[in-house]
Formats: sequence, C-alpha cells, structure tokens
Amino acid sequence: MKKRTAQLRLVIMTLLVPAAFLPPGCRKKPEPSASERMVIRVPMFSKIQTLDCGNLTDVYSIGVASQIYESLYEYHYLKRPVELVPLLAEGMPDISEDHLTYTIRIRKGIFYHDDPCFPDGKGREVKAGDFVFALKRIANVKYMSQRWTDWNGRIVGLDDFREYTKGFRRESDVDYSVEVEGLRALDDYTLQLKLTKPWPQLIWYLASAVTAPVPREAVDYYGKDILYHPVGTGPFRLKVWERGFYIELVRNENWHGGTYPTEGEPSDWENGYLEDAGKPLPFADAIVYRIIEEFQPAWLMFLRGDLDIMQIFKDNFAQAVNPDTLTATPAMAERDIRLLVFDDPSVFWIGFNMQDPVLGRNKPLRKAVSRAIDRQAAIRLFFNGVHKVAYGYLPPGLEEYDPNIVHTDYAKYDPAEARTLLQEAQRIHGGPIPPLTIAIPGTSNLDRQIGQFLQKYLEDVGLQLRVDYMDWPTYLDGLNKGKLQIFFSGASPSIPDSLDMLMGFCSWNWGYGGNHFFYSNPEYDALYRKAEPMFPGPERTRLCRQMERIMLEDYPAVFLNHRVSIAIIHGWYKNAKPHEFSYNTAKYRRIDLEKRNRYKELLNELKKKPK
Amino acid sequence: MTVYIIRRLLYTVPIVVGVLLLTFFLFSVVGGDISQQIAGKNADAETIAEIRHEYGFDKPLFWSLDSQFIDHFRKALTFNFGRALDREKISDKILRGVGPSLSLTVPMFLGTLVLSISLALMVAFVRGSWLDVAAVVLCVAGMSIPYLSFIIYGQYIFAYKLGMFPIMYMPEESLLTSLALPVLIGIAAGLGGNLRFYRTIVLDEMRSDYVRTAFAKGLSTSKVLFKHVLKNALIPIITSVVLSIPYLFLGSLLLERFFGIPGLGSLMIEAIASRDFFIINAMTFIFSLLIVVFTLLTDICYAWADPRIKLE
Repeated sequence: MKKRTAQLRLVIMTLLVPAAFLPPGCRKKPEPSASERMVIRVPMFSKIQTLDCGNLTDVYSIGVASQIYESLYEYHYLKRPVELVPLLAEGMPDISEDHLTYTIRIRKGIFYHDDPCFPDGKGREVKAGDFVFALKRIANVKYMSQRWTDWNGRIVGLDDFREYTKGFRRESDVDYSVEVEGLRALDDYTLQLKLTKPWPQLIWYLASAVTAPVPREAVDYYGKDILYHPVGTGPFRLKVWERGFYIELVRNENWHGGTYPTEGEPSDWENGYLEDAGKPLPFADAIVYRIIEEFQPAWLMFLRGDLDIMQIFKDNFAQAVNPDTLTATPAMAERDIRLLVFDDPSVFWIGFNMQDPVLGRNKPLRKAVSRAIDRQAAIRLFFNGVHKVAYGYLPPGLEEYDPNIVHTDYAKYDPAEARTLLQEAQRIHGGPIPPLTIAIPGTSNLDRQIGQFLQKYLEDVGLQLRVDYMDWPTYLDGLNKGKLQIFFSGASPSIPDSLDMLMGFCSWNWGYGGNHFFYSNPEYDALYRKAEPMFPGPERTRLCRQMERIMLEDYPAVFLNHRVSIAIIHGWYKNAKPHEFSYNTAKYRRIDLEKRNRYKELLNELKKKPK
Repeated sequence: MTVYIIRRLLYTVPIVVGVLLLTFFLFSVVGGDISQQIAGKNADAETIAEIRHEYGFDKPLFWSLDSQFIDHFRKALTFNFGRALDREKISDKILRGVGPSLSLTVPMFLGTLVLSISLALMVAFVRGSWLDVAAVVLCVAGMSIPYLSFIIYGQYIFAYKLGMFPIMYMPEESLLTSLALPVLIGIAAGLGGNLRFYRTIVLDEMRSDYVRTAFAKGLSTSKVLFKHVLKNALIPIITSVVLSIPYLFLGSLLLERFFGIPGLGSLMIEAIASRDFFIINAMTFIFSLLIVVFTLLTDICYAWADPRIKLE
C-alpha cells in the first residue's frame, strides 16, 4: 500500500512539475477581458524585435512602438494627400530663410509614462534636451542604431559627435553633454536643429517614433534591456510583453490628451470615418497583439470574433474576397465583415548589377529581359490579380507618382521584340549570351515558384536563367558588395517623399543600404542634386519624374508590381481608415462593443439559417 | 555500480568537448560572420563593424587567449551563453521557454505512454482477433496521417467548429483549457506508432514459455500481463522512454506554432531560420548534456529492471 502511494505521488509530481516552471505569462491572468472593456485585438505575423525607439526598423516593431512613443509631429489621420500636424511640438517648425535652421517649440505639460526609472516612479515632464539626447544616442556608434543612415551628414556637428563616440568601449560610457552645434536645446521647451545643407525631408523624420524623446533615466536604469522597457509619452503604455506571442498595451491614464479629427476627405463622412469627430482620444482601453505565425489559427480566431482585423493571404482570398469587385464575399458580408483595399506604396523588381560585364554594357539585353516578362501573368499567379503593374519605379501614393507612366512601354510584355533585342545584345556581347543568374532571397515554395516563372519566361525568348535561392544574410552580403548579377528585391518608402526612393539610383550611394544596382548616370545625379534641397512643389515633382524617366530608359531593373493591400475587418472595428505612412493610429480606433458582444448570437442565427 | 557511474560521467567530458568542437566548426568557421545580417539592410559599414566587434566576430578564430574558440568554450562551460541576435539574454529565453514546452510535452508523453502500453497489452492478449486487426489498421492509419493534419483538423473541428477549446493559447484562460487540445492532439498523433511498437514487444513476450506456465498455474490475466509480461518487456520500453525524455525539453514545434505556445520548439526553429548561432549553440550544448545524462540513466534503469544486468 505504501509502495503504491509512493508511486502515485511520483506520477502526480511528474505531472505537476512542469507547471512550476511556468513563467508568469502562462498562469491565469487576474484581469479577464470583460465584455465592457474596449480591447482592440490585432494579429501579428512576425515577432517584434525591439521597443527601443532609436533602433526601430521593422514595421511590426514600429507599429507597436508608435502607440507608446510620440514624436514632434504626426500625420493627420484623415486628410489625403498626407499632411503633418504638430504632436509634441507646439506648431510647425520655424525654418530660416536659407532652410538650414529649424527651431521647434515643444508643448509644455507633456509627461512620460510612470516608470520605475523615475524617482518615485512618476513620469517627469518632457524637455527639449530629451530630443537632443535621443538623436545623439542614434549617432552614438556604440549604440549601433540601424537608423543612423537617415542622419548621416545631415546635422552640423553630429558626425563629429559620432567620431567622438568611437573612442569609448560601451554606449553608456559616452558623455552626452558634449555640445553638438547643430543639435541644441535653447531652453527646456525649444529645440534647434542646424543642417549641413537643406533637407526638406527632415520634417517627415520628425514624425517617426524613431525620433521620439528618450528620458536619460530610462537608458541608465535599464541599460541594454531598454528594448523591453519603452518609456514614452503616448496614449498607451506597455503592460505585458510575453516575447514571441503576446503584447498588451493599456491606456495611459496620464496622457496629455487629444481629440478625433473633425476634417478629412469628402468621402470620410459616407465611410463613417468622421462619426467620432471631436471626441476625446483614445477610445480603446487596451490593445492586444497576438503573434500568430501560422495562417490557420489566425483566420479561425478572426472568424470566431477573437480578432478584430486580419490580413488577406492566398489561403483565405477565395473565401473572403470577390475578385471582380474586390469586396467581401456574401459569406463574409452576412457576418458583417468587410474589406479595406488600399494602395500600399511599394515596388518590386528584378534588379541588374550594372557593373556586371555581361549586363552592365548591354542595354538591349536588359531591355530584352524586361520585354520577356509578363507582369500581368505574375500578378495573376502570385498576388491573386490584385497588385498593380509597375510601369515605372515610383509607386502610387507618392506625390511625385506620374499617372502618365501607364502610357509608356517600359513594362510592355513583347516576346517578339525581346527576341529581336536579344540578337542585338548578342552582337554587342560578341556571341551568345551566357546563362544569367538571379538571386532570390528565400527558399519557400513561393520563392521557388517565382524563380521557375522567371526561368520559363526568359527561356521563351532564348535566354537561360539560373536561380540561386539564398538565405537572407548571404543575399544581403552579395547585394551590398555587388556580387549578385541579377537580384529580386523591392522597396516601400518609409516617408512620403520620392527623393528617399530615388536616392537608390544615385552614383554616390553604391552598396551598403543604397544603390544596389551600382547604377551611375551623371544626368540623373545632377537632377537629384538639384531637386534635393527643394520643398515639395511642381518643379520638384517635374524633376523627380524626369529622373525616373532617365533611369527607366537605362533599364537598370525590371519593375514588376506595386502592392495593393487588403485587410479584412469586423463591422464593429470603427475608424479603420488605412494610412500609408502613419503608425500611431490605434488611438483613433473604436470598437462597437454592443455589436461585438452580439457576434456569437449572430453566428448562431446564421447556423440556423437555411442554406 | 558507483565506479561505473563515475566512469560514465567521465566519458561525458570528451563527448561534450566533441560537441563544442563540432558546433564551433559549423557555426563559427563555416557559418562565419553574421554581423551584416544583424545590422539589417540599411546599415552603414561603420555600424556593421561595430556590431562585428560587439559580438566578437572580429576576434581571431583560434590562436589567441581572447579567440572566438576560447570564448565559445567559456560561454558553454559557465552556462553564460550571452545575448541572442535580438540582444535578449539567451538564458532568459531558454528559461522562459522550458516551462511552456514541458507543460505541453510531459502530459503528452505520459498520456501517450500510459495509453499505448495499456492498449498494447490488451491487443496483444487478444492477438489475431478482430480487435487486434482493427487496432493494427488504425495504428497504421494513424502513422500514415501527417502530424500537421492532426493539428489542422483537430484545431478546426474541436476548437473552431465545436468550440470545445480555445483556438490558441489565451493568457486570460486557464492553463488547463489552453493546453488540453494540443495535448490531446499530440497523444492522438503519437498513439499509432507507439501502440504498434509496444504491441510488438509485448507479443514477443507473450510467446514465451513463462507466460504459458503462469496461465497454467492459474494466475489471472491482469496479473500475468501487468506483473510478468510488462516487467519482462521493460528493457526496450525503458530504452524508448528514457531516451525520449531529453526531446521533451525541445518542445513540439508544430503544436507550439499552431497553438501559440511560447516554448523551446519555436525558439530553436526561429534560431535556425534567423541564423542565430548563439541560440543554436546553447541549445545544442544543453541538449547534448541531457542526452548524456539520460543515456546513463537508461543504463542504471536496465540494472534495476533486470537483475541479470550488471553495471561494471
């Protein structure tokens, strides 16, 4: 009997031991989400890397961090074309006549979230010096920010400060009180930036969470672990981050406040985006991000009403989207589920290495490749026919996008012309064209299908294509060092400014993070230099479009498609107007709780409904 | 036996050194410098150089006291594995993942074990009957169905359609509710192979003379099966069971991904996908230690289960 009891105890202990290892996040939470609590529930399909604002790079991290941090400016939520409005700044910057000095007044009475890094845990007031500290930190080479390239050579004295930081062993050793001429807090509420040359794009960077003020106390208190302890001023603060699967932000009760915009586009009234005009923000009590790396559970959770919004993938496209009208299918509509379809400024291409001995000096060859590829077929096959053909480089959604580009023949599919061009290419090359090699970053089924698609179309015109499916680091290394002959790539502008994208073809920007085509055209470079200091306007737009045409004529790439995004939302998810560049939009979202709480009843009613 | 255990523990030294050498060769010599990957697509050369320095990729590979080779050994032997590519401490990541992984794999393992051994004894006893044939057919069917199908259909039917369980792990729900479905799916998916394996072992024993003798002496069926047959079948069972235990610490990749369980299975696969050699190194080292320890335990269990086996 005693032996049996001991055995039983052993079995019970074995079953219970794992529970003792459980981290806090795996135990039952004391606060169940009540039906009256307004919680926004969003899926994320990738893990976020950091919540340290000075090193934000991926869209998922920026998406979460932008609800916690605030910057000097923000995008007007409803107006299009996009427009900036002050957020932590009192007004738009005072810009000197030579466009070199920006003076920005900062709002008084803005406080950081309460956090243990402050004395007594009470968040202190934001000062101009915090913005200075945040930018110096990005410049600190020991901090290793991936955002330094945005600021490299822009601010008077900041590059010297970066040089100075090289002499230290650790980030924390650097003395931040060292003066930088172009980056100063004139007083507690006035920030001054002096530029080395006019930089009209600066204002867009000041609307990013990357440039949010950072309290020195938090950096000192958390050290390297600050990436898990964001201390911002935003409408939400971090409550739980179970890394890799769950993030919960809760309303910041000490937020300085804000109201829902009262103006927008004419269509905003009919779309219901102005129903909450003038109401205090934020609406939600909390935001929950579920990191779900598989499609099926996310889709089932959405259908069951456990998520408010979801992306459309190829697996749920047929079930959710009517491809002719790009609206929700009847099965979705009866659940009060609808689609948001919007241009997501981006462009994907097959890039040529212009320094390659076969391709670089042979424009007919590059043009032949361009003529050989049927972009419409690629879009039908890989993107459900939803994406748009890229007739040029600049995507729709940017002010400088040229609507007349669709009438050009840069994206023409013409295999007969490709064969003719190939004959000319062979003459230039001095014989048959050797097999070409394209690098595709990835080894998934989709990557392989894209590789096979390109092989097939080039083979049709008499070109052989080898495909190297590479892991990301190998690909990146080859891309930066110009070791790839042809490469599959793409870009999305981080700010609504075409020069940001056009710099990708400037000859002084070869290699690391820049011109991966190793393209060089003096005329293009000269036009860029001319447009660079200009503020947006007709002349600048003309120059950008001219640059685009010059580059397209040289065929350094085969531009394939512009992404069109489709999100699917429940009827209770309000104020979900898509914004191409803004991330701090959660404060505008509202949940119609009554509708959401009735959803289960609706599903039961639908079950009973005769088919 | 003590001498044997000490000797076996000493054997672990060359094994661990071998593992460390292999991982160093694979990840540091062949895998090489991944600082550019850490820096991201838009980083400048200076930032990349700084990252190279921070992670020690600029140190000599071998011939220095401060070499990557020495560093590799030092980190492993002190269990201070440093920081992963995302700058989080690797030990934190592992400690955080081990609880959820074991909460999933231990009940799954025990459930599968108890069920499959009990059923194996039953069907072996009625061998040749329709029940035995049906069990074998079901086992083969269960083994033929991909693991992923069990998960996808299990999640769709029991969680979504019938609403009996949450679709994914929900922090606000009780742990039992959240883990019940993945555990049940894991048991169902593993039952086929295990039942067939144990049935074969039990059948071998059932054909032995001592079983006939036991029945001839009038012992009850349960006594023959559970006291005599099971005890004699223990050696292969122990081998299979004890050597499976280290794998429990690795978690279950697919179940963890589909049910949002933050365990070590996902950690390892993500580390491989993102070429986070620091995590792979740490996990490989820990796993090799577990294998060594549990192999030793298996040997000790042999001696306990079968007095004829002497550990010398």
